[in-house]
Amino acid sequence: MRGNEDERLDALFGAYRDACPDPEASANFMPTLWARIDSRQTFLFSFRRMANAFVTAAVALSIALGVYLTIPRSTPGTTPGTTPETYVEVLAAANPLDTPDIVSPGVRVDLNGR
Amino acid sequence: MLVDFDLIKRAQNRDSAAFNEIVLAYRKRILGTITRLIARSEDVEDVAQEVFLRLYFSLDQLRTPEVFEPWLYRLTVNAAFDYLRKQRRRQEFRMSDLSEQQVLMADATAGSKVEHEEQAKKKVRESVDSLLGAVSEADRILLLLKEVEGLSLKELEKIYKVNENALKVRLFRARQRVLKAFGAGGKKEGPG
Repeated sequence: MRGNEDERLDALFGAYRDACPDPEASANFMPTLWARIDSRQTFLFSFRRMANAFVTAAVALSIALGVYLTIPRSTPGTTPGTTPETYVEVLAAANPLDTPDIVSPGVRVDLNGR
Repeated sequence: MLVDFDLIKRAQNRDSAAFNEIVLAYRKRILGTITRLIARSEDVEDVAQEVFLRLYFSLDQLRTPEVFEPWLYRLTVNAAFDYLRKQRRRQEFRMSDLSEQQVLMADATAGSKVEHEEQAKKKVRESVDSLLGAVSEADRILLLLKEVEGLSLKELEKIYKVNENALKVRLFRARQRVLKAFGAGGKKEGPG
């Protein structure tokens, strides 16, 4: 049920509608609007061009990095052009001096010498 | 609809003449709505241009021309809301804000019938702006669209993309707050 105040408020809103009529646009409205559209378009165009350049540079860098990582490189202690195949071989190649002397074929143990 | 679907489709294909026609058709209505939403006449054209600027760059996202008007209203509401968020203040164009010379000039010219009418309109504007201060910016815009712009709940549903019942509840609460302020204002003013 709508009360008396509701009706008065509706009347006030109606009066507000009449008190704020639709204004006419100024003569500059359309030229200014198109100038703003052009300006935004120019900005978007340069932004898009910059983004494209950035994407191209990023792709080129990724390809270069990929190529660099896939090229086989020689490590010290291995024959150039060959790569160690197992973990033990990699360790042996990396630490050649760590091999214990006891297993060296040039060493003899004299058990009678006391 | 103030324009036909064909014109909208042409504008979607970046036809400047078609877009121009759409702006000319809706310009006055949008200016009027913005005038009532932001209550700052000096910035109305700027906000209206922002609406049409957004329209130009997002027109290709509109899939069905049938929803063009609610969509344009949505852009208008968003632009007005963005503006109000930036401003964070309402139009308070009162005598206390005028310079001494402006007050003297206003007093000197406030005798004619036209001036009386203008004063009455100004008073109505101030009263409604003050009453709508009782609700949030979002509710203020919603109430204005419903009560002053005369949009139906169905239209508001399309603009806000919110369930009709949720809108009804929100409108009811906002209206109750305004009514409370209205009643309080009436009592404060007293009989006379």
